Amino acid sequence: MLDPGIIEKLRRIAGKENVLTSKEEMVAYSYDATNTWSHLPDAVVLPSDAAQVSEILKLASEKGVPVTPRGSGTNVSGGSVAIRGGIVLCTTRMDRIIEVSRTNLNATVEPGVILLDFQEALAKEGLFFPPDPQSFAGCTMGGVVAENSGGPSCLKYGVTKQYVLGLEVVLADGRIIKLGGVTPKNRTGYELMMLFTGSEGTLGVITKITLRVLPAPKAEQTIVAVFNDVAVAGETVTEIIAGSVLPSKVEFVDNWTFAKFRGLLPDDVLDRSQVILLIQVDGLPETVAAETEQVLRICQARANGVRVAEDKVEAERYWQARQSHFSDISSRAHTIVNEDVSVPRDKIADFIRLSQASARRHDVPISFAGHVGDGNFHPVVLTDNRDKEHYARALKCVDEIIEAALSLGGVLSGEHGIGLEKQRFLKKAMDPQAIEIMKQIKGVLDPRHILNPGKIWEE
Amino acid sequence: MSTNLSFKQIEKFKADLDRCTKCGFCMSACPVYREERVESSVARGKIMLIRALLDSGLGLTDELAEQLNRCTLCRTCAENCPAGTDVPSVIAAARADKVAEKGVPFPYNLVFRWLLPRRRLFGRVLRFASWFQGIFLPKTEGTIRHLSFFLSALGKGRHIPQIAPKFLRESVPEINRPPAGVEVKYTVGYFTGCMTDFVFPELGKKIIDFLTRNGVEVRVPKAQGCCGAPVFLGAGDFTTGRRFADANVKAFKDVEYIITDCATCASAMKDYAKFLADNEARRKDYKEFGDKIKDITEFLVDVLKLPPSAYRTAAEFRGKTVTWHEPCHLGRYLGIKEQPRKILDSLKDIKYVEMRDADRCCGMAGTFSIYFYELSKKIAARKVADIAATKADVVVTDCPGCQIQIIDSLIQHGKPVQVRHIMELLE
Repeated sequence: MLDPGIIEKLRRIAGKENVLTSKEEMVAYSYDATNTWSHLPDAVVLPSDAAQVSEILKLASEKGVPVTPRGSGTNVSGGSVAIRGGIVLCTTRMDRIIEVSRTNLNATVEPGVILLDFQEALAKEGLFFPPDPQSFAGCTMGGVVAENSGGPSCLKYGVTKQYVLGLEVVLADGRIIKLGGVTPKNRTGYELMMLFTGSEGTLGVITKITLRVLPAPKAEQTIVAVFNDVAVAGETVTEIIAGSVLPSKVEFVDNWTFAKFRGLLPDDVLDRSQVILLIQVDGLPETVAAETEQVLRICQARANGVRVAEDKVEAERYWQARQSHFSDISSRAHTIVNEDVSVPRDKIADFIRLSQASARRHDVPISFAGHVGDGNFHPVVLTDNRDKEHYARALKCVDEIIEAALSLGGVLSGEHGIGLEKQRFLKKAMDPQAIEIMKQIKGVLDPRHILNPGKIWEE
Repeated sequence: MSTNLSFKQIEKFKADLDRCTKCGFCMSACPVYREERVESSVARGKIMLIRALLDSGLGLTDELAEQLNRCTLCRTCAENCPAGTDVPSVIAAARADKVAEKGVPFPYNLVFRWLLPRRRLFGRVLRFASWFQGIFLPKTEGTIRHLSFFLSALGKGRHIPQIAPKFLRESVPEINRPPAGVEVKYTVGYFTGCMTDFVFPELGKKIIDFLTRNGVEVRVPKAQGCCGAPVFLGAGDFTTGRRFADANVKAFKDVEYIITDCATCASAMKDYAKFLADNEARRKDYKEFGDKIKDITEFLVDVLKLPPSAYRTAAEFRGKTVTWHEPCHLGRYLGIKEQPRKILDSLKDIKYVEMRDADRCCGMAGTFSIYFYELSKKIAARKVADIAATKADVVVTDCPGCQIQIIDSLIQHGKPVQVRHIMELLE
């Protein structure tokens, strides 16, 4: 419980209507998009500007109250769950798009802007911001930066960190600092801004973001190819890229999600296949036409069936089917453990084989989807955490999947971040000295450890 | 914490309650979340609150009730849900369990349980109220006046159309046959709904006239009542809802189709079976009744299959620019999207301009707009901006509830755009 005096002060800082304390509101801020982590905060504050954020953090620092920064809470790492209680500092009401510049190819936003709204505002100017995490319809820009979000388009265009030009950040003691700038090139001192990109709310609260944006591609084309097995699909991707075509997206789903493609692709082809690749190429219309031709030729040599979307509507149907993978799998088990490893592209088939073998050994169902183009996978283990024995087997399988990815030269998390969900693997996945340096940096920026305590490394 | 509460209705939608994966796809789409930006506004938050109610003894507090009520049931969340969670049904069910436990608060209990079911008395009360409209309150625009003395208890100074001097039920016979020489193709019942009956009787007459001229015999059973939407969907009073349902089923026993001019009435009545059926006989009756219901635009386009030439623009709208507001209950609930647009496309003498997000909720949602008037107006402000951007002279829709909300909001924003039912455009 927070001291009533602190609540009163929060109300004075942010306005009465922006401080929530009821049991019901706390329940609504007790979770993120994982199904394993939840904790009730003691209060939720929805500040309107950086000055208020600063006052809130000063107060919290002085009183030693934990503060968990949060946007929409669509993350899948447990990162925005107030695991030590205290204050949830929710930035959703700081939601202005401050500037979109066609000439400078940049945009400045507040952290509470929903990614989809940002993308729509850019589209009006013929621009785009490539990172497209699956939570795009809910996630906020503050979260996109703090989690260094990825998504399908990152194969060609890179992840969020490649687009952050400048940040305004409030530190734990309330200092408001400006980092970076608005220009694409900036070689002034250390890249401090990068510390906050992907910091998962542990180092500061992001209150303003300037991003590099790109002219929207003039044309795009979706090609869908259905394969016997994942190894063949993986080889196909390698050959496409080796042929100097870099698709904007190459996504992969296994036959767990085929039901969503029924009616879109012929049943007899789906019935004898295991894997669907969704490939998108973009650029100038003539480039798209030529690249489509090339992709089609390579796919036809190996796939059971290939289809080039006739129009935007058809393409959209395939992408929606891909997007539904997570919810589709979620609906089939009480608990799902959704991993997020990334492996080098030439190790994709090995990784899937190892993971499948592990799932067989532990007798747990597993499904795969992911951004196969960049080797970032979402193996999903289906289980039920009420069944202790099954859940234990599932977790063992997950351990082995992560071991497999690491042994193949991959990483623990491609895009979800560590939060609470992946803490127990951090020691295996990161140089212990690097973890030590992270802790030292945390000590410099947040000496009282009030910002999102209990996250990233185990304490 | 253990609880002795019963969640009979929520249990029916348990699969939906469990289906939500908390992904947050509902967020950008939810009209309430867009304005408030707090988790308890959005589908995911409400689902989690209802789960907490069932699993961890959150308790049916007034605050929880408010959070359940703070939803327009626009269905945008369900439409955007990759898991296919029917959130609006879960919320409607939770409202019902709350009412079963705690009752309906005053003055709604009086209106829902006592006044609304007494059709003639309700009419008289409205008539009585309409005298006060004229006496105590200034005219705002044409026949639009401030809500009267009696209804202002519910309406907070909203500009609403005047109560009609003569109700539809008093103006038309129960059986309306096509003119001599026109072959009878169908016999339909016309469910007029409260708004057309008491506020927009001219619309009702127009619809009867249009249908009869096109070979449809139109029956207007006097025994019909309110569809019950505000009572069972809005307030969660399923017991009273069943009384409305039974009365309407009986009133329309002998017709092939039941025509409505209000998407909310149509959708609510189709949902009798889903929410109100508490035994096999009712399930069967409600299902048969629901299957007969056709929205007027759906009936004209899909059943009568009128050619484009059958639609001619009424003189007063010729040369006007017209835009279309798609009611939530028409598009997302009934899946009727093309039919009204086909009719608008057929009208040669108007310029039809599609507004941005024509299917976005106007924020009316019946009792929602009474409980949360300010919020309802904020949602409507976006609609006003979208209408204004089309530079339309007239906005048409297919739900008198939406009409009232849009009329009120346009006046508040000083926009001189007419608001009409789509059928009023026709000659």
